[in-house]
Amino acid sequence: MTFALQFLIDVLSLGGAYALMALGLVIVYGILRLVNFAYGELIMVTGYALFLAGGTGLPWLVMAAMAILVAVATGILTEYVAFRPVRAKSVTAVLITSFAFSTLLQNAALLFISPRPRNVPLPPIFSQTVEIAGVVTPMRNLLTIAAAAILLAVFAFLMRRTVLGVAMRAAASNFTMARMLGVPANLVITSAFAISGLLAGVVGILWIGRIGTVVPGIGMEPLLVAFIATVIGGMRSLSGAVLGGFLLAFIDTTLNYTLAQDLLKFRDAFTFGLVILILLWRPQGLLKGPATGQRT
Amino acid sequence: MNRHLLTAVLLSGLVVLLVVATEALGVRVFDRIATNLCVSLVLVIGLQIFMGNSGILSFAHIGFMGVGAYVSALLTIPAQMKGMALPDLYPILQGIQVSPYLAIALAGVAAAVVAAVMSYPLMRLSDAAAVITSFALLVVLHTVMTNWSNVTNGPRTLFGVPKATDLLLAAGVAVAAIVGAVAFKESRTGLLLRASRDDEVAAAALGAHIPHLRWRAFIVAAFFAGVGGALWGHFVTSFSPNAFYLHQTFVILGMLVIGGANTVTGAVVGAFLVTGAFESLRSVEARLNDLKLFNDQVVGLTEIVLALAMIAVLILRPGGLFPSREIGAVLARAFANKKKGAA
Amino acid sequence: MLEVKDLEVRYGAIRAVRGVSMKAEAGQLVALLGANGAGKSSTLMCVAGALRAAAGSIRLMGEDVTSARPEAMVRKGVATVTETRDVFPDLTVSENLLLGSYVHRHDRAGVAADRERMLQLFPRLGERAGQAAGTLSGGEQQMLVIARAMMTRPKLLLLDEPSLGLAPAIVDQIFEMIRVLKSSGLTIVLVEQNVSKALQLADTAYVMRLGRIAAAGTAAEIAATTDLGALYLGG
Repeated sequence: MTFALQFLIDVLSLGGAYALMALGLVIVYGILRLVNFAYGELIMVTGYALFLAGGTGLPWLVMAAMAILVAVATGILTEYVAFRPVRAKSVTAVLITSFAFSTLLQNAALLFISPRPRNVPLPPIFSQTVEIAGVVTPMRNLLTIAAAAILLAVFAFLMRRTVLGVAMRAAASNFTMARMLGVPANLVITSAFAISGLLAGVVGILWIGRIGTVVPGIGMEPLLVAFIATVIGGMRSLSGAVLGGFLLAFIDTTLNYTLAQDLLKFRDAFTFGLVILILLWRPQGLLKGPATGQRT
Repeated sequence: MNRHLLTAVLLSGLVVLLVVATEALGVRVFDRIATNLCVSLVLVIGLQIFMGNSGILSFAHIGFMGVGAYVSALLTIPAQMKGMALPDLYPILQGIQVSPYLAIALAGVAAAVVAAVMSYPLMRLSDAAAVITSFALLVVLHTVMTNWSNVTNGPRTLFGVPKATDLLLAAGVAVAAIVGAVAFKESRTGLLLRASRDDEVAAAALGAHIPHLRWRAFIVAAFFAGVGGALWGHFVTSFSPNAFYLHQTFVILGMLVIGGANTVTGAVVGAFLVTGAFESLRSVEARLNDLKLFNDQVVGLTEIVLALAMIAVLILRPGGLFPSREIGAVLARAFANKKKGAA
Repeated sequence: MLEVKDLEVRYGAIRAVRGVSMKAEAGQLVALLGANGAGKSSTLMCVAGALRAAAGSIRLMGEDVTSARPEAMVRKGVATVTETRDVFPDLTVSENLLLGSYVHRHDRAGVAADRERMLQLFPRLGERAGQAAGTLSGGEQQMLVIARAMMTRPKLLLLDEPSLGLAPAIVDQIFEMIRVLKSSGLTIVLVEQNVSKALQLADTAYVMRLGRIAAAGTAAEIAATTDLGALYLGG
């Protein structure tokens, strides 16, 4: 029983973080069908913004909000630098510009801050533990679960109940048709990048909260996670991405409990091998995305 | 002269010129830079063979460079050194030691075989699925290199690879790569593949089995990646798996994109330009570090400049400096126009 | 209302539309006829702003709109119903209609009235308001995309093959609705394979062949003078 609860908390907290990461990637992919390789750097930027805010002596929540705002701004900046100027040219060009922008941001952190880890300010709640029914678990895990639940609920509400949300869902399923109904392309795309930045910002704080430091390469793992979860979740489906995140967390947690230590090293090879197999079997991802209605 | 032959001769001539100039100057630093440039040429041209002809972005290329480097190292590290360099090596492999030249060729073959086995089913994917799977392939190869301690020494540096690559060898291989890439581009496979890049349906209607064509290009590309990796390994003599990951991918991709992925000329010019810029910026970085103006070491400046250059090229000149015509064709046309003007 | 002059559309090296000129006067229904691949849909999509014109000009009520983007065309009063019947399959019928009124979203009372009017015209959609649009039948989807296009309050409606692949009884219903829309004063450009039905409703007609206008005239003239059977065999 305690083991089951422990397992559940592990899966839910990891899955919540993974789901937010995947959602942030897929909201851009779904609309533009373009992979944003600079997505992990939104999380890195959040970490450094928090680190820099650490010197100001402001209340922690204000610093965290500022860090998330920086992530939103960087998301929008990605759109203006790496996507908008080459959007019409070719798919490959956009992939390369976003890859280049990712390298640019990482090296900017190397150059202007430091290659070495930097401590970010965290409130004490991140290092406290709590006991629930005999299971001792870090508070930050519960915090992650709560944050993911709230954010996913708010996100679902916005996408279902606001005109812009409905327009974004429509654009994700058939961008041209949405434009032919008067939905402005640029607004939808910029909103998608802003939301992507918001999700990355929140998950960034929770993710960095696990280790307490930020390094220039910190965005790599979230990017890989988002890739896998997105592929599992059907590439273009927003709810699929969330499901993919939890499924991946379930697989990872199970492997953590069952695989021997010397095999665990190869976990990334296993999960990415799985990604390749899934894409071979179903190039659109494991779960069905929205039927496009578009002839391809 | 045939314009394809002209392209191959001119581009090879550029490499010969580099060798002659370097030998004439006799400065050791230039020798190192020129050798590195030739190794980069082999890698960039390899990537051009796949990307330029198929039009599909591949992230896996540098993974095959790693395969080549490790295979060649395994085949050449002297038996008595192996005990130290690779303490967990399988006994069967301990006694093997072949000439580095043979090993470099075998490294190319090994990379090509790995690519052939792993990639065939991937070749029918396009767009984002193709890119994510190639990225996944790079991660898989990297994870294996980092963790298969028996043959790679794990994430630690592998020492004791015999020095075998000099400027002449690297330049020779680079010339072979240039000739190979031009020949591939004009071969039946290359022509059909380029037709499929522009219009998949029309090329399929010509009877082209596109995944099969892509597969051939991918194998040839992996062969050059493996050879390039082995050459590099025998030049630097010690390396770790991180040498074959995103940073190197970024550099090689940058060379190809800036020069122009669709042409061999673009690949060659891109390699020369980026290497030149890189080395100048590196020396600026070193100078700054010597001056100790800043508390920390200055790192990353070079990459920032290359990233900006890549983005600028893709915005202003999406096809790169040589977007569609090879240098041979450009000159042949200019010559023909001049003749017309004279007559 | 609409004036297209020497329009050219290219897909790579292929010229799908080669110098098409046509006109639609206010309140008229203009039929655009021709075999598959004659360039009708390309012409229509170019007017809608979804395809770029390689040459030529498009004027809407005297204004040059040749390079206007699709969302701008909607604001100028052009609504498009595509051949592929593009409902948003995961969105409900209500949400699909709501998107049609995106441009007028701040005029809530007006949008509600528009919606009421459309549900009167297409009662079936009212019954299925909460259902995902992907679950509708082909005929219902066609009604939905027409209703959705009408929610943009167009002055000019572009209809691409509204009867394609539908059962004869449904086709009759669809044409009846087109007649109702026309009688309300709407200008319509109709691309249709069902030549006889289209000519019954049309004021003027253009026949396209291999990317060019092969014949033009009033609907009656076209019906009388053109060998329509040969036309559709591609002759």
